[in-house]
Amino acid sequence: MPYGLLQGITVVELGGFISAPYCGKLLADMGAAVTKVEPPVTGDSSRGYGPFLNDDPHRERSGLFLYLNAGKRGLTLDLATPTGMGVLLDLVARSDVVVHNLHPEEMDRVGLCYQDLSRENPGLVMASITPFGLTGPYRGYKAYDINLAAAGGICQGLGEAGRPPLTFGTPQVGYFAGMAAASSIVMALLARETAASNGSPVEGQHIDIAEVETMSGVYNGPEALMAVYDWRHTRRTGHHALDFPYPNCILPCKDGYIFVGSPETRQWRTLLERMGNPDWAADPRFRNRTVMNNEYAGEIDGYMEAWLMEHTKAELLEMAMEHRIPLGPVRGFDEVRRDPGLSGWFVEISRGDTGPVGFPGMPYALADASSCESAPAPMLGQHNEDVLVGELGFTHEQLVALYQTGII
Amino acid sequence: MTRDAGRNESAAGPPDMTGPLAGYRVLDFGWVLAGAIPGMVLADMGAEVIKVETRQRMDYMRLGRPIIGTEMDPEQHPMFHNVNRGKLSIALNTNHGEAVELALRLAARCDVVLENFSPGVMDRLGLGYERLKAAKEDIIMVAISSHGQTGPLRDLRAYAPSIGAMSGLDSTLGYEGERPLGLKHAYADITGALHAVYAAVAALYQRRRTGRGQYVDVSMLRATAATMGVGLMEFEATGRALQTRGNYDPTMAPYGNYPCLGEDRWVSIAVATGAEWDGLVAAMGHPEWAAGERFASRFQRHRHRRELDEKLSEWTRERDAWAITELLQSRGVAAMPVMDARERLEDRHNRERGLYQEIEHPALGMEPIFNLMWKMEKTPPAIRRHAPLLGEHNRKVFGGLLGLDDAEISRLEEAQVLY
Repeated sequence: MPYGLLQGITVVELGGFISAPYCGKLLADMGAAVTKVEPPVTGDSSRGYGPFLNDDPHRERSGLFLYLNAGKRGLTLDLATPTGMGVLLDLVARSDVVVHNLHPEEMDRVGLCYQDLSRENPGLVMASITPFGLTGPYRGYKAYDINLAAAGGICQGLGEAGRPPLTFGTPQVGYFAGMAAASSIVMALLARETAASNGSPVEGQHIDIAEVETMSGVYNGPEALMAVYDWRHTRRTGHHALDFPYPNCILPCKDGYIFVGSPETRQWRTLLERMGNPDWAADPRFRNRTVMNNEYAGEIDGYMEAWLMEHTKAELLEMAMEHRIPLGPVRGFDEVRRDPGLSGWFVEISRGDTGPVGFPGMPYALADASSCESAPAPMLGQHNEDVLVGELGFTHEQLVALYQTGII
Repeated sequence: MTRDAGRNESAAGPPDMTGPLAGYRVLDFGWVLAGAIPGMVLADMGAEVIKVETRQRMDYMRLGRPIIGTEMDPEQHPMFHNVNRGKLSIALNTNHGEAVELALRLAARCDVVLENFSPGVMDRLGLGYERLKAAKEDIIMVAISSHGQTGPLRDLRAYAPSIGAMSGLDSTLGYEGERPLGLKHAYADITGALHAVYAAVAALYQRRRTGRGQYVDVSMLRATAATMGVGLMEFEATGRALQTRGNYDPTMAPYGNYPCLGEDRWVSIAVATGAEWDGLVAAMGHPEWAAGERFASRFQRHRHRRELDEKLSEWTRERDAWAITELLQSRGVAAMPVMDARERLEDRHNRERGLYQEIEHPALGMEPIFNLMWKMEKTPPAIRRHAPLLGEHNRKVFGGLLGLDDAEISRLEEAQVLY
């Protein structure tokens, strides 16, 4: 019998763009039943962000939306109205989990609070993903991806001296918040099961996830102690990073760029052998590879590049495989998509109006779980009737009235 | 529906039952960063995590220059202290047949086994999934590797930055139209580790309800590529591969890090809506340039974003990054300074939320260690103890859990099985 690890868990997802939807996707991919609630008319903001299939800018053609929301049901609901909020309460009363990324001020405005949502459902687990968390002096601050990266320590060391610090080339922070939400939600569900098996009352709880802390915590948290001991510096040094043994950088090769690393001495020796043990490597200035990196990187880049320019990315990757050296071609997304090693990983999902589209698959392979065919992402309000009439007991007449009055 | 057998007695004293994973035990072969973090998270959440390590091949994260003294000391690495807090440590040299038998006996008392050796190593050691499963039928094994346990690249030597390069992540990271600079962070380690945590707890949840174990094969490349939604979908949707593009967002302008008063000080500012733009203009005191046709709509602002960046920089350059942040935030505009590690450590918001916690380590004293990025009101995560000394818990684990007596443990130490 097909099943997923979280089969039977019901989830309500509110909000949009990346963080809450990625959490919902992780849960849905493990078999949870996720109902996505979107504002009427506009829907999730990722519907307007693109990239759009065949450059057709339309809310049903956003690649980002279609990726992050595959396998969910779609419901539209105007939470700014008491009626809309009432429907949400009904829905939540029969669910295990709520995950949302409404800003704290938006939560206050629409009256989204754990106490109300869990009154009829004490087992409810709710994860609130917000830029800076539900407490603290920056609670009310706004932030987009670059602001979270800046405050989270991503930008400080990224870029060249004297030029503006850089951030990720595409929005990334939300994925970390989504991962944090999914993990902590399942842990809260486990705690709930444990309480139940001990005969205690079934209790859910409220989880507070600050997006910035996914960057300044698990991603960059150890840097604080490194700084206390003056162990590592995060000045911007272009394609190099300070305080690592050389090489630890991206350099040009014959047909593009390649990341060249050799944290282990053996790897560096092997790399030099492949280069024909050049004379420059014997220079006494280069005995300590961290000094080499911090003080002579420019000079050595020149020697390395002369050799690298004779080789293609494919040749260097083959060399890396054969001689066990960590070289990594800088691949464009076209190359990633065409990587034969990933060909079975991309999942093709088809929807009547979009045709088949290839999406990234799951980060893990599970030995003991059947892979279910994933349903496509919902069209805006696609499951309004299923949810409202089929599950919450509204009549068709009421469904029409909710639509006509802009609630759904 | 079958349920888990009872939860475990703790090897190291009375169990702390406040975490949601209290009562679960983890045998943690993970090392360096991607392998260390999952056990760290599970320990903060209340699981008893036994780190298996050996002097024969020391966790790289223990190696580095000393902070006190001049001799190399495996107890002084600040990164190690961060990502191994809360764990117990046993020194077990798995090159030794007797050590492998001990590891299997420990696995029989555990719920989860974590590892991130190169694919094939656990099998070679005699600690592959089938052996572990024979020791404990419902064991959950989570293996993290660069490119997965199968496939053409499974044996490729890789670590976080080379995986980042191969995932597409680095191809967009650089100034617009210039060479890719690359992230150079441990992005792939973190995505690999956090997806592994999620898979591990989902498998525990499944086991609670079905009694079945699980084998999870986490690929760091796949974990990183799964977060490349915009980049991969851009190619899928349009056939175009994104290039380096600086601080860019297709829907926002301004969107960037702008120079401020002081040495290497910058503030990030991002404006999407008309209301946010109005807030920025008001905060700047309604300068004449901002009223022009060229910046009159979101579309126009994005189209003239380079000019807008220059004008905005003229304004930010004269001001303090925090003053700008507070002023703009008071008008509903997203802004934050570009913060370094020290600034984050001392930040008032981070302090109030307890992002860092002082933990005393026997080798180095009080140290700020970062907390997890979620707060749970009823089962809060907690840093329960400092990172273990190498082999610190040999006696507790082998004595307490496997019932070996002191003489036997001493013999195993002398034979360098416990080493």
